[in-house]
This record gives sequence, C-alpha cells and structure tokens, in this order.
Amino acid sequence: MTGIIVCLLVLLVLHLLTPWWWWVMVVPFLFGFFFWRSAWRSFRTGAAAAGLLWLVAATAYHLSGSALIAQRMAMMMRLGSSWLMVVAAGLLAAVAAGVAGLAGYSIRALFRADSPKP
Amino acid sequence: MKLLRAILALSLAALFFWGFHNRHGLFPPVGKLFNPFAGFWRNGERREKPRETIRLPGLKDIVEVVWDARHVPHIFARNDHDLYLAQGYITARDRLWQMEFQVLYSAGRLSEVVGPVMVQHDRLQRRLGLAWAAEKTAQALRADPLVAETIRSYGDGVNAYIRELSPQDRPIEYKFFDYAPEPWTDLKSALLLKYMAWMLTGESKEKLMSVTREALGEEFIRALYPDLPPYLEPIIPRGTVWDFRPSAIPTSPPGAAPSAAPETGGGPDAAEGHEGLGSNNWAVAGKLTRSGNPILCNDPHLELTLPSIWYETQLSAPGVDVYGVTAPGAPGIIIGFNRRVAWGVTAGLSDVLDWYEIKFKDERRQEYFFNGAWRPVVVRTERVKVRGGKTIVDRVPYTHLGPVAYLQGEKPPLWGIPTGAAMRWTAQEAENELLTLYKLNRAAGYEDFQEALKTWGCPGLNFAYADSRGDISLWHRGLYPLRWKGQGRYLLDGANPADGWPGWVPWEQNPHVRNPERGFVSSANQPPVDATYPYYLGWDYPSFERGTRINELLSAQNHITPQDMLRMQTDTLDLRARLLLPKVLPVLQAAQLAPLEQRCLKTLADWNYESRADSAAPSIFNALWNALNELTWNDEKKAGLEFVYRPLSNVFLDMALNRPDSTFFDDKTTAKTETFPDIILAAFPKACRNLEERCGPWGDAWLWGRARDTDILHLGRVPGFGRPRLATSGGPGTINAIHNTWGPSWRMVVALGPEVKAWGIYPGGQSGNPGSRFYDVAVDDWLAGRSYELVFMKSADEALPGPSSRLELRGEK
Repeated sequence: MTGIIVCLLVLLVLHLLTPWWWWVMVVPFLFGFFFWRSAWRSFRTGAAAAGLLWLVAATAYHLSGSALIAQRMAMMMRLGSSWLMVVAAGLLAAVAAGVAGLAGYSIRALFRADSPKP
Repeated sequence: MKLLRAILALSLAALFFWGFHNRHGLFPPVGKLFNPFAGFWRNGERREKPRETIRLPGLKDIVEVVWDARHVPHIFARNDHDLYLAQGYITARDRLWQMEFQVLYSAGRLSEVVGPVMVQHDRLQRRLGLAWAAEKTAQALRADPLVAETIRSYGDGVNAYIRELSPQDRPIEYKFFDYAPEPWTDLKSALLLKYMAWMLTGESKEKLMSVTREALGEEFIRALYPDLPPYLEPIIPRGTVWDFRPSAIPTSPPGAAPSAAPETGGGPDAAEGHEGLGSNNWAVAGKLTRSGNPILCNDPHLELTLPSIWYETQLSAPGVDVYGVTAPGAPGIIIGFNRRVAWGVTAGLSDVLDWYEIKFKDERRQEYFFNGAWRPVVVRTERVKVRGGKTIVDRVPYTHLGPVAYLQGEKPPLWGIPTGAAMRWTAQEAENELLTLYKLNRAAGYEDFQEALKTWGCPGLNFAYADSRGDISLWHRGLYPLRWKGQGRYLLDGANPADGWPGWVPWEQNPHVRNPERGFVSSANQPPVDATYPYYLGWDYPSFERGTRINELLSAQNHITPQDMLRMQTDTLDLRARLLLPKVLPVLQAAQLAPLEQRCLKTLADWNYESRADSAAPSIFNALWNALNELTWNDEKKAGLEFVYRPLSNVFLDMALNRPDSTFFDDKTTAKTETFPDIILAAFPKACRNLEERCGPWGDAWLWGRARDTDILHLGRVPGFGRPRLATSGGPGTINAIHNTWGPSWRMVVALGPEVKAWGIYPGGQSGNPGSRFYDVAVDDWLAGRSYELVFMKSADEALPGPSSRLELRGEK
C-alpha cells in the first residue's frame, strides 16, 4: 500500500512539472529495479499507482470542463461514451506502468543472488 | 529462467513504450493523447475569467479586449501597432492550429506533419509555385511601410502566443498529429493569400477545351460553351456607359493555335462542372429601403470546414473602427463594415491563369524556345520532407511565363492541369492586397473605397459597396491581363510572344457601376459585363440562376428592411425548375407511367419550386435534371473523347425551351431522330430508378435533406471533429447555395445610416478548439436560416447584453 502511494505521489509531481506521459513507465521501472520485492508485486504496484492516478485525474478533468472534448475523442475512437475515455486512460497507464515495473524488477533480479532458503 | 523473464518483460515494456509513444499511420500516439496532465484532457473548455490581465511583450500601450456573448473579441487599442499585435495574439489564441495548417497546405508542407499520404498534394503545391509566388508577394509587402508594420505586428502577436504556449496547452490537433507549432512569419501571411487565390482562380479549362475542340470542332465549342451565355444578366447592368478610353487591345495572332491536342492521361472525376463555387452580394440604395439608407448583403460560398475559414473581430484604434470577418493568418478585416461604409465580396472568376505549351530544346530541359531563340530555363529545387519517409526532391523548370508544373508523360493529380505547359497566373505578380484591406477598413466614403481597390490583384473579386451618405457601388476588381478575344480558352503557345500578356487592364477601367438607376447592385459570379465592354476578361463563369433570382427579388421590392434581406439570403427557389417544369410536366402527364413514376410526377406537379430539406421534390427534380443532361450530351462523344463536359444550365434551358428540336437532343446512337419530349420520356424513368437505387423505396430517405446531405468536416479531416450528414435546404442554383461540402460561409447584412446595424452568422464558432462549446455553436442556427445581431461596440466600457468577459493586455513592465 505504501509502495502504491509513494509511487503515485512521485508520478503526480513529475506529471505536474513536465508534459511527458512516459513517467508512468520510467518511474515504476526504477521502483521495480530498486525497491520492489517480487515480480507480481512490481507489476501490481506500478499498475495500481499509475492506473489510479490517471483514472482519478481524467475523472477530475471530465467533471470540470473536459467532458465535451472527451466526447469528441470517444467519437473519434468509435467508443460510445466519454466515460469510456476515462477508463481507457486508467487502463492504458496501468498496463504501461505494470509492464515497466515488472521489467525493472526482472532486470535487477538478474544481478541479485538467489537468497538462500532458511 | 530469470534471463528469459527479464528479456520478455523488457521487450514487452519496450513494445508498449513504442506503441503508446508513436503515431501509427494516422492513428494518434495514445500515451501522449490520453495523459490527463498533457493530453486531450487539457483541451477542455477554457474557463473565462470575467476580468484578466496578460503581459504581452512588444505592446506600446494598454489594449483592452472585450469578449461578447458569442466569444467575438472587440479589440480596443491606442495605436495601429498595438491593434494588429493584439489581433495576431487574440486570433492565435482561438485559431493557432488552423492558421498554421492552412499555410502548410498552401506551401506544400503537409507531408512534414501528416505523413506520406500528403506527398501528392505537396508536390502539386510546389510545382504550381505557390511558395515561389508567396515569396514575391512577401517582398512586396515588406517594401510597403504601412503594410510591413501591420504584418510584422500581427506576426509578433502570433509569436507571443506561441512562446507562452506550453506543450500541455497546445491545440488538440498538434497532439493528434503529434507535432509542434513553429514561429509565424510574414511569408506565412503571404502564403495564406495564395491559398485563397488558388481556391478562387485555380480552375483551368484550357486542356478540356483543347481536347474537346480537337474531337468536336470549333462550332461545337461556340454552341455549347459561349463567351456570353443565354439568359445572361451581367453584373454591371446593361446600358452602363464606359466612361473611359480603352488602352491598346491586342489582336489575335494569325494561325497561332497549337495544332495537336494535349495528352489527356485518364479521365476527370466528373464531367459536371464545379457547381459549389460562388457567392452572392448585393447593395440596395436608400430609395428602395424603408429607412432611406442603403443596405449591404454578402454571403461568400466556400468549402465549409470546422474550424471555419472566418473569424469575427472588431478592431478599434484611432483612425479605424471596423467589424467583420478575418481569415486567421492575415491582419485586418476582409468582409465587414465600419461606422460609415460596408463592403462584401464574391469571386470574380475572370480568367487570370493561362497555360502555355513549352518546347524544350532537348531531354535535359535546360533551354526552351521563345520568340525565335532558345532561352535558359531556371530550375527551382523543391524538397518535400516526408514524416517517416525519404525527402522527395523535385526540380521544377521555370520559364519567363512561370513554372512548368508537370512534364510530358507525368500524370497531374488535377485533371485540368496540362502537361508540358507553363503556368502564367496573376497571383505570381507581387500585388499588395493587404493594403487594399488596410484602406477598406478605414474608408469613409466612395473615393476611399475606390482608392483602396487600386492595389488589389488576385483573386479578382466583385466588391459590393454601400455607405451612410447613400452611395452604392460594385467593382469587378482584379489584376486582369490585356487579352485578345478568346485568349486563354485553349492552350497557348509558349514560343509565341503574341500569346503573352502585354499589360493590364488599367485599374480604373475595371468593370464598375455606381448608383445605377435600378437602385441596387448585385453579383453572383456571373459574367461581369456584356459585349459592349472593350476588354476580353474570360468566358468560364457559373450559371445564371442565383444572379437572376437576386435581381428579380430586388426589382420587385421597395420599403426593404434588413429582415427582408435576411430572408432573401435563405431563399431556396429553384429557378431552373420554375422555367423547365411547365414544359416537362405536360409531356409526362400525357404518358403511360409506372406507379413510382406517377408518384414522383405528382410530387413535382405539387411543388412550389422551393428546395427545402423536408421535401422530396428537389431530389426528384435534380435526378431528372441530371438524367436529361446525360441523355442530351453524352452521345455527342466522338473520336477518343472521354466525356463531354456538361454545358451551363443556361445553354441547356435555352435549347429545351426555345429549340426543342435541336440536333443535340437527337440520340446519335439510334436511327430515330429524337427531340426534347423524347428525351424527357427517357430521362424521367431513369431519374426515378436512380433515386430508388440510391435512396431505397419511396420514403423519408427521398427527402432533399437526406438524399443530398451536407458535410461540414474538420479542416484536418480528424474523425469526430466535424459535423457530417446535415439536412440542408437550398442547392447550387438557389440564393441559399448549400451543396454537399460547400455553402454560405458567412452571411452578413449591414443596414447603414446614422447608427449602423448588422447581422451575421457562419456555420461554425469562434473557437477552433473542438473541446469548446464555441467550436460549432452556430451550426444549428445557420441550418435554420437564423442570423445574429452583431455587437458593434462604441467603446471598451460599453455594457453588453449577455455574458461577456474582459481582457487587458499590457506591455512588459
């Protein structure tokens, strides 16, 4: 849980300061590499942090003036509802972040000796 | 095992990164686009603060901007420099992407941002030399101190906006196509002028006429495509006295016509003419109006897009106070009014573009033949950069006449462009159209209006004018070459100096009329003059219906009010039908018809000739019109001719009504000799069948608004950003000239007098942002034929009806 919150907060700050979307891949990758303890957890934590952040942020925009542009984007993508665009934003971030977290962890694992079983 | 997992996970991550980060064909980069902090979510409705102050570097003084309830900016500056700087800045705020995209389109640079699909278009623009012509114009603009200052300030304003624009806040199209805006330059304003010039004067029929003459002969051409068609009511009323001594008019060179017809290389898209292009304007003198003051009306018909080609603005500074529409990218108002005068334009369509066959010395094309000697070719190298592809290098040969756009054996993307021919076009002359606008914006009376038109070059336009002193006028103004009669109908000989342009029609001798007896002036793109005018201006103008209908309505009225004029702009009476059906219906009523045909006949017989969206009669009549024309003209085809170009409706109606046994009605493929009634009997079942095939069984799909719908598409053709399939009334031959993708792009009515009042609407909205409610807010009112009363503010402090907001622009501290 702490992992998710920390990762989410780091992402939030970086997103507010820069226009780059790929923080949702870079940050979970680094967290996976340095901090996270298992493959599944790396995927899960990254996906949850980024997915939640994008989902909540997109919802906030949708509720505060971006419903029309979301509706037009939905028409462009041939998805019926603008709310599906909110879901799509969340899913997209979750998948990208999950895979990146997993990749970060897996690379690090190559250099780490298997811990001996007690 | 671990290694395998690491490789798999890393590959997967790389794949997702690549997939989300990049555009795939025209599919946008979803990572960037969906990012709530920088993607499309940021392009929502901008919440206007009721009062706001912005620092705008370069301003000399304070500028106040008031946004009215329709998001029209009213700009109040204290000097010209600040006025145009603020105009550039404010226009960019609403329309930056469009400004730049139109310029890239004109310059042939769309491949850089869109990709390989635009290569053919870009090469066309390059070969036509639009950028070359724009460079010449930009130089001329820089050389005029007044205009240079205007255009520089405007550009500074645009650039100030681009500089403060963060990537997160760029217009959505930049995010969709994934690129960034580049700095604005005066060359870009010049490119915008060329974009409009090409749109209104680029169509050429030399090749078509040469091919047709080769197959069917000069007689055929004279009969079907006359210089002055029947039913003509020229723009300048018959009987107008030409109060000038014409300069030397060249005579046709003996036996100069090129002998061989040009290669055709495939057929055109349609044998029908381009029926959408056109516009209406008229001005009514005080003696016909209820108030005793003139009224001016204008509705230019152009391709309808979102964002719209027009942007409403009021510009106010010492010496100028003007309201109207501007084309984003050019300073000033193009169509509009100030406190004393109003003006509006329609396309003049006189011939200002000729094609000359060029004889090169050899395959290397370094020299060409002219006036008995070989002359050197100048090569302009064009580099079309292609996104995700190799740069394409085109070496375009230029003669003294202009660029040889396509070489023998090449296939031009527009059928009308001949190969191996040089293009001479008045837009290549460096005229100063922006000075005309500058002066028009400030005009106080007829003399100023006339003076302003002096520097107008291309496109040639019909300028209608009215002022508060009671003057009305119309000028067919453009840079028109001196021609021998008929010059430019066929391909010309590039080697023969007698085929060139020895000079120009003096500007003050351009066709014009002031305060005619009948009390109104009008134009609807018809030929400007009758045979008494000493100069030859061209032959290819649209058909007569709109012009004749306008004159008919204006002649029948007095005590005219602005409301009458607003109604008239949405008049949908189909003159063609009114003339033709009384002849056609009796023939059909006497014939044996199938049940569907009987139903169609009854619909036509009950029709009041109004092309309304909710009536099936216009659908039937237009299908019938097409069938009649096909059966009449298509069998004339001969000797390798791919199609017979459809003559003007004037020509067809004249034959149908006055010479029903003309040999053109005879179907050359049968032994029998047909006359017009035979053609009617064959055409009607064909028309009904065609409609049934296209719209299904008789029902709502037959209604005009459904059978012929109108698309207002996004300028960059982004799906979801347009307004397709609108049910519209009117047609190309009615005053309300709405067609599939073309229509009245701005309807304006100005009532002059001590207090000027005006109405207007265009099918779009002030904001170029698809995420704003102002993006397409006026489309439905436009469809319904409504117009808005325009707010012409007297000062920045004036209280406005409805919600408004204020923006103060200040220079740096």
